[in-house]
Amino acid sequence: MSLAKFVAKRVLEIVVTLFIIATLVFLLFRLMPGDASSVVAAKMTPELKEILRARFGLDKPLWQQYLIYVKNLLHGEFGTSFYWEGDVFDILKARMLPTVLLFTTGTLLAYALGVNLGRIIAWKRGGKLEYGSTLTGLFLRTMPMFWVGLLAVWVFSYRLDLFPVGGMKTPEIWGATVEAGLLTKILDVAYHLFLPLTVYTLAIFAGNMLLMKNSMLETLKEDYITTARAKGLPEKKIRDHHAARNAMLPVVTALSLGMAFSFNGSILTEKVFSWPGLGRTLVEASLSHDYPLAQGAFILLAGVVLVAVLFSDILYAYLDPRIKY
Amino acid sequence: MTSLLHTEVKTKWQRRKKWVKNTWMLFKKSKVGVLGLVILAIFFVLALASVIPPKINEMYIPLYGTDPEIMGISPPSLRHPLGTDFMGRDLFSQLLEGAKWALIVGITAATAAVVVGTVVGLVSGYSGGIADTLLQRTADILLTLPGIPIILVIGAALGQVSIWTVVILIALLGWPGPSKVIRAQVLSLRERPFIESATVSGASSKRIIFRHIAPNVLPLSFLYMTFGVTTAILLEAGLSFIGMGDPSTVSWGMMLQWCFTSGNTFNAPYWLLPPGLCITVLALSFYLIGIGTQQIVNPRLRER
Amino acid sequence: MKVLEVQNLVMYYRTMKGYVKAVDNVSFDVEKGEAMGLVGESGCGKTTIGMSILGLLPQNAAVQSGKILFRNGDLLELSEKEMQHVRWKGISMIFQAAMNALNPVHRIEDQIVEAIKTHENISKEEARKRVAQLYTLVGLDPERARDYPHEYSGGMKQRAVIAMALACNPDIIIADEPTTALDVIVQDQIISEIKKLQQELQMTMIYISHDISVIAESCERIAVMYAGILAEYANAVDLFKNPMHPYTQALMSSFPSIKGPKKRLIPVPGEPPNLLNPPRGCRFHPRCPLAMDVCKKVVPEFTEYGNRHWAACHALG
Repeated sequence: MSLAKFVAKRVLEIVVTLFIIATLVFLLFRLMPGDASSVVAAKMTPELKEILRARFGLDKPLWQQYLIYVKNLLHGEFGTSFYWEGDVFDILKARMLPTVLLFTTGTLLAYALGVNLGRIIAWKRGGKLEYGSTLTGLFLRTMPMFWVGLLAVWVFSYRLDLFPVGGMKTPEIWGATVEAGLLTKILDVAYHLFLPLTVYTLAIFAGNMLLMKNSMLETLKEDYITTARAKGLPEKKIRDHHAARNAMLPVVTALSLGMAFSFNGSILTEKVFSWPGLGRTLVEASLSHDYPLAQGAFILLAGVVLVAVLFSDILYAYLDPRIKY
Repeated sequence: MTSLLHTEVKTKWQRRKKWVKNTWMLFKKSKVGVLGLVILAIFFVLALASVIPPKINEMYIPLYGTDPEIMGISPPSLRHPLGTDFMGRDLFSQLLEGAKWALIVGITAATAAVVVGTVVGLVSGYSGGIADTLLQRTADILLTLPGIPIILVIGAALGQVSIWTVVILIALLGWPGPSKVIRAQVLSLRERPFIESATVSGASSKRIIFRHIAPNVLPLSFLYMTFGVTTAILLEAGLSFIGMGDPSTVSWGMMLQWCFTSGNTFNAPYWLLPPGLCITVLALSFYLIGIGTQQIVNPRLRER
Repeated sequence: MKVLEVQNLVMYYRTMKGYVKAVDNVSFDVEKGEAMGLVGESGCGKTTIGMSILGLLPQNAAVQSGKILFRNGDLLELSEKEMQHVRWKGISMIFQAAMNALNPVHRIEDQIVEAIKTHENISKEEARKRVAQLYTLVGLDPERARDYPHEYSGGMKQRAVIAMALACNPDIIIADEPTTALDVIVQDQIISEIKKLQQELQMTMIYISHDISVIAESCERIAVMYAGILAEYANAVDLFKNPMHPYTQALMSSFPSIKGPKKRLIPVPGEPPNLLNPPRGCRFHPRCPLAMDVCKKVVPEFTEYGNRHWAACHALG
């Protein structure tokens, strides 16, 4: 199978999985005790209620509602948010980018940092550096990330006034009153991104680093490392080109498997820093029982996770020539 | 003749005692594991001690005990070793209560997850076929999807969330991990000669699974349980923090949520720091115990 | 002309349980164009010697005394950087390739080119051409040079490793158990291949193996090692016609001969000693049928008994 076929097959799997998830969510909301319909809120105007009833067929039998639901989903019709009283899809569209930004940058940084530190520390073999890094890694894994975030905000935003307390944009720059250039806007987002990104990356990178370090130590026992030495190659080349290149494979696998964990982290980070992304939206919608919004956010979030896993699987296939698609 | 018989026939009880002693000897070798155990013991004591303050004075009741003289937050004092929160409730009692819940939630959720995971792994690995495929597919989906969103969505549908709902949900998310590892173990054990001979001698599947395979798999299960407690504690804390917890339960995550939502993150380090530190240290202790157990379960790691 | 001279090499490993004297006072030399065999049981120290020559010993190994003379210098005196220059270009190694001697994530051609370019200042194109030549030489299809190791069979991998060892035209090649992990038929092919190459190219070789039949086929000089010491060292023909050391004699009678009359196989009784605490005196004395009192106390001298036939045994007078 070529790469294109592999990707196509996986994309199909993702669509099917999302479909299953959407179905499960549909059933979840319809069958749970509590609200009978997950589309209409009490405080809506009668006219709006009527429109929604018609569009979602709330008076029809369950299976018919399901078909309408699926049809709507395929058209990007996720319903109307109770709280915001706007189209769910429109609301979510705006929230996708912040999440993707935080999540992607954070995961990539954590991975790069983890792999590079791991391979250097493993090469140094023993001593204070290895001991210190293991200890740090241990703590980073057991400290609740949201708490670290709170501490970071307290120290760096409140006391040292280095960074904003939360949010993604400074209202003045983005508002209609001041015409700010693109560069200023980018810098502004970066300024807001710095603290949440740092906290998020720190939480994730520890696992990567420890895994890379252990993987390197195992790889160094392999015969091809002896061959590389025998060939008279310089130390750095053996470490990076031969050892690390092999050692990082399990780390990439872990990346795939750990996507869920990373995402949990990004949701917590979004909450602490009031980052306007899908995660925070899901949290707020769930807590306020805004079912359409929660439903939509969940499905979209699942989609992002699945795509991220696909990317990291492709990365692995690229790195390991032994993998047959 | 009789003396020979005597030494050979050991009672089940004696054999179990010996096994426990041997395992403990092995575990003691890991300084890290012992450290974890010590820390855990301290938290156990704290949790048990949580019943004391309310008995001393009603104002120390964690959830609704208020001090008539203090109306809101206050820094540490003689009356309140850690200060009070925004409702005038004693923070130290809250901390002790939190220890109790952390242990209950952590251990229960992790145990439930591992029990389910082990059973699934055993059945899946031994039976194969459709059951295996179905179970593994479900496990895969649950593993790929992040747990917090799933719990959020379920919580949204349910409306009210009690602490036991949280425990069940954490267990529901936790079983796929152990099940995969147990299944792999079962698959490799299944081919071993002693299983073949059991099958040939007419043992039923159920007997084979539980009497022969399970004991070999249990150490691994235990290992996953210890790591699972770390995850469960952190997960519960995170859920409580974002608001999807049980508001009538005082957990460390709840404490942090109250601190955050009442806007006291910046001015009350005595409120902000202790719960987070406790979460970290308790989670750490289980992790260390896990490392200590790992070297018993995986002989390769012994004697570096 | 001597290409390599090992003089009184003493080497030990530091382990948790103590010091293991893996090589105790071993001396031999290799003439140009000669194939020398180093044979002995597992753990007798032959691989350690091979590794010592290339400076590939693990961190817990140390050379206590002795010299390894190569190109008018003592290899043991060289720094790591200087050693890197000697490796592959001066001395190369053929490993047991059916295991993991080739890096699985890089193409084989790249790995050979890497060796060439590290030591010679030629272009990638030139290096690739040389790889193609080497491939033809060892009986591989040059078209397959761009493949990955997992796409090769065991025998093919071994040939690739041989090609790689030849790549920089080294003065001497050490072959360490090159056929052990292969099945018998492929083993035979590889042995013939190596023999053919050695004769064609007049290669100087040290052939390390536990399999004396393989050594017998391929080598002109044979050194028999036992528990870290050299028991006997002679021309192949002399060794088989007239084995002097009791251990060598025992080895000869422990494997069957297809041609001769049927005889009883006599294995060597006992087990190789634990090198943490080797026997005093001659290390073979606990298993030796000719053991005398002096053997338990005094280490026998490695003496020449005419025609480059050396042995270390008190019973030889």
